[in-house]
Amino acid sequence: MNGKFFVTPKFATTLRQRFKAALAWLAIRARLAIGLCILLSFALLAGGADFLAPYDYRAQSRMEPAAPRAAIHWQDAEGNWHLRPFIYARKITDPLTRTYTEDLAKRYPLALLTRGYSYKLCGLLSTNLHLFGLQESDQNSAPRLYILGTDALGRDRLSRMLLASRFSLLVAPLSMLLASLLGIVIGCLAGYSRRWLDALLMRVADAMMALPVLVVVLAARAAFPLALSPARAGVLLVALFVAIGWAEMARLARGEVLALRQRDFVTAAYSLGMTQRRILFRHILPNMSRPLLIQMTLMLPAFLLNETALSYLGVGLQEPEPGWGNMLAAANDLTLLQAQPFELLAPALLIFVFVLGVRLVSDGLQNR
Amino acid sequence: MFLLKLILNRLVQTLMTLLIVTTLTFAMLAAAGGDVLNTLSADPLASAATVQQMRHIYGLDQPLPVRYWRWLEHTVRGDMGESFYYHAPVSRLLFPRLLNTMMLALLALFMAWSVALTLGMMAARRVGSWADRSCEAIILLASSTPRLVLALVVLALASQFSLLNFGSGAALSKAANPVNRSSSWLQIVLPAVVLAVPLMALFLAQVRDGVRQALREDFVMVARAKGLRERDVLFRHALRAALNPLITIFGYSLGGVMSGSVIVETILDWPGLGALSVVAVQSRDVPLMLGIVIITATAVFAGNLLADILLHLNDPRLRQNDQRHRSVQSVATR
Repeated sequence: MNGKFFVTPKFATTLRQRFKAALAWLAIRARLAIGLCILLSFALLAGGADFLAPYDYRAQSRMEPAAPRAAIHWQDAEGNWHLRPFIYARKITDPLTRTYTEDLAKRYPLALLTRGYSYKLCGLLSTNLHLFGLQESDQNSAPRLYILGTDALGRDRLSRMLLASRFSLLVAPLSMLLASLLGIVIGCLAGYSRRWLDALLMRVADAMMALPVLVVVLAARAAFPLALSPARAGVLLVALFVAIGWAEMARLARGEVLALRQRDFVTAAYSLGMTQRRILFRHILPNMSRPLLIQMTLMLPAFLLNETALSYLGVGLQEPEPGWGNMLAAANDLTLLQAQPFELLAPALLIFVFVLGVRLVSDGLQNR
Repeated sequence: MFLLKLILNRLVQTLMTLLIVTTLTFAMLAAAGGDVLNTLSADPLASAATVQQMRHIYGLDQPLPVRYWRWLEHTVRGDMGESFYYHAPVSRLLFPRLLNTMMLALLALFMAWSVALTLGMMAARRVGSWADRSCEAIILLASSTPRLVLALVVLALASQFSLLNFGSGAALSKAANPVNRSSSWLQIVLPAVVLAVPLMALFLAQVRDGVRQALREDFVMVARAKGLRERDVLFRHALRAALNPLITIFGYSLGGVMSGSVIVETILDWPGLGALSVVAVQSRDVPLMLGIVIITATAVFAGNLLADILLHLNDPRLRQNDQRHRSVQSVATR
């Protein structure tokens, strides 16, 4: 009876255990890998936004305000199928309910790698190539391809959303880097300094951590003019986030420094006659890199969300520059939200995926 | 005795923080230049003399330290000045809003706790069970759904099924009279749910890990060996032991609740402090903004203090070991 089985029960359990362990290992690795892939694709998206966006984010179609997403057809009005998808020109028939009807007379086929507005790829290469768009037509009255429809001013929502990634993905990581740098410096300082300075710094950090971030940022924002250019708004937001975000990092870094200074290898290094500076940079900092990195992955989405929240409220990045936050502000129009929920909330989906990606990286780092 | 010391300590810390934050806001005001009358001075109908006169009435022509000192003096007496935007005393504007926000926050905390406790206990009982695994997924999803996104999705759903009867205006127009509104239980439940979801993820992760760890301890084995019912083992012994970090995390989450309420209240139109702070920043109403900061920070600090007191009531070890704990810490600092 027993001989019929290839695998003895005992071996089976170990095999199953190994399989489970391998699965668990894979699951953790997979989180890190998926998270990093998401972040990488966001970086590519921000870098190649001009290439991916079919139109200039400022270009308006005045006859097509608040249009829903374009209907992409494979089958024309006569019922013939076409290999290449196409759209019809649209005309607004009821401005009040923003109803559009299609003009079935002429098809406008889609194409990959079309010519559009010119831009500089990676800041160097001047080109006018875009990933997709409508096939070149000699007609001046050719319609435009609005994958996500147009906003109230008739600008392409998709192009705006893609270009918008630049501001968010610049401000949040930059604030994260600067805030962690400041936090680590202050934390190490507190960990190495005399008791009164240490206590003072940590009291301040505790106070900063207890304060509600968004309320304080809003209060600080109230001191500055309401309308700001994108560059100034970016600098202001980074400064505010750094001024508030250092505290948590400092607390963590101080704790790590204090714990590591007790360890034998540090004592050994000290007894070998190494300078404190060398010990700090060669022994202490490398050993605390993991918790600090995890803390950074927690800061990144927080800063991103604060930035989008401020832009949503109209005090971050402002029109006509596109930001995920100020694009979402269009959802305040409830009738429009009712008619085009997906078009309006597309930036929210991007925010969600980005936060999920950072979160996966964070989890992957924590459980490794 | 110990509690008294703790409360005093916290009170001093709160006052210091408020002093620092308000001073910084005033200092930034000086650095940025301009004030609430800037828009007025751009108006061709208002002469320079009128603007100057109004500056004088509001006391905006005084040097900044003088303004700060005057504001501080009044605030200590409980008079937070007059809002530039609403032309009403700040304290009278704040208190109904504070009540609204607290109502919302309490409801959200209650929801988050009850869901987190139920799911967390179910997950902790058996590691690797379906409940455990779905909890993991819930934590991942809920903690990476920002309140901004969730609130907008809820708004879209509500408008799709016409759940809420919003007025024609957004929060801005209603801000002046928060009481006069059509009340429906959904009007508070929807923002509370949005506020609760990230909190729930935070609590759920903590409950699950804490109880799971406690279930490995010897005292749980003893309790089981005594023949206690599993329910009693879980709730009386394991949960009690896992409660400490939960209380601490409750304290730390309050700041997040207050921050979250800004965006949630604005989107889902709940007349609380958060929505008011948006009006204050958009109209550059500094007295109102400072009042909001003070009252929010005080609420958060009060919550932290409550958490600390609860912690000491829950865990006798902390009371006894306080002195010893300190000496150990001071050795570590040296």
